[in-house]
Amino acid sequence: MRTEDLVSQLAQGLKPVRRLPSPLAMLGLWCLFCAGIIAAALLVSGLRSNFVARLLDGFDLYQLMSAAMVALTAGYAAFQLALPDRDQRWALLPVPAVVGWLAIMGWGCLADFARFGSAALTLTTSYPCLYFIIGLGVPMTAAIVFLTRHAALLRPTPVAALGGLSAAAFASLGLSLVHELNAAVMVLVWHGLAVLVVAFIGAMTGPALMQRAAAV
Amino acid sequence: MSQLAFCPAGFPAMSATEDRLVRDARWSALMARAQEGDGGAYNTLLRECLPLLRSICRQRLREPAEVEDAVQDTLLTLHRVRNTYDPTRPFRPWIAAIAERRALDRGRGVARGLARHTDLEAADHIGVDGGAETKLMSADLRAAVAELPASQRQALQLTKIEALSLAEASARSGMSMGALKVATHRAVQTLRRKFGIESNKGEP
Repeated sequence: MRTEDLVSQLAQGLKPVRRLPSPLAMLGLWCLFCAGIIAAALLVSGLRSNFVARLLDGFDLYQLMSAAMVALTAGYAAFQLALPDRDQRWALLPVPAVVGWLAIMGWGCLADFARFGSAALTLTTSYPCLYFIIGLGVPMTAAIVFLTRHAALLRPTPVAALGGLSAAAFASLGLSLVHELNAAVMVLVWHGLAVLVVAFIGAMTGPALMQRAAAV
Repeated sequence: MSQLAFCPAGFPAMSATEDRLVRDARWSALMARAQEGDGGAYNTLLRECLPLLRSICRQRLREPAEVEDAVQDTLLTLHRVRNTYDPTRPFRPWIAAIAERRALDRGRGVARGLARHTDLEAADHIGVDGGAETKLMSADLRAAVAELPASQRQALQLTKIEALSLAEASARSGMSMGALKVATHRAVQTLRRKFGIESNKGEP
């Protein structure tokens, strides 16, 4: 087919389309969705018993704030990168927040060590953490993949990976509200591992999901 | 937007001296109208963009036919993602990014396609045995593929030569997965008929 004929075909019977909202508006929508999911988890499991005391202690507050920063920056980067004309350096936006989260966790580990000695660094398995973040993070990843499905033809893998990171960070934040896991080293390892798993699952399966969602 | 008042749909291509900023502003306005369903504006815009698209694709691809295919891929992609354009932003980077992506994919597809031409699977599809590479690269095959209807040619390109999954090929081409399967099957049947007979006659 000649290219000029293709142009005529595309222009013939052109249907109006609704412009995509800005990345900031999409982020707002995404945050509302995640807030709803976290609120539902809170309704089911209830707020953890020592939440307020731990929050006043400082560490939990910083941990929650850094998880929220990871979720917001990764989500915003995903919505930016999903658009064709945006710089690929947007992918680096969540890096400082991730480094901040790791630093806060590391600092928490040191503080625990100073207070309780080497016992504070004992690592035990915490499958509920893993299940909660993966169980919640993966469906949430599917939701953000759907919201960024227009990236299917452009750069689906980084968008899906960032979406997975944002979803997992929101799930980690939700878990910190409902589940008691006081040792920083436990949070660092189990939350960190679960977030990595969700982002990886996002990167692996997201592009195919986007293709399907975009083809509908 | 004021530029549009003087530029009805179908106006001739722009002069080379026209300021790039003015042109970009007009392209943005045309695209905004296209998003609202104005086929005339869309037609004008795409035709005006063809030289730009060709020059971007030429930077990444050598074969003129490949360049043209990449331009067509770009048009199909931008058509599908036309809701992502924000008229408050310049149009050129938007369309250039899509063209670069498609030219890159097409380049990779060509490389992958050439590699695949030597393997048995490719030979199996076409029905030639031995000397597959030279056979497949021959002008005969190119001519036979060129004779296929456009939809079959595209289906063959995406699913067999670029080896995309049906879902990916569907997203790229805008054809449903069912239609792609049928078109690919028919294309392969046609080629098999053509080359199967010739290979039986021609090969020792």
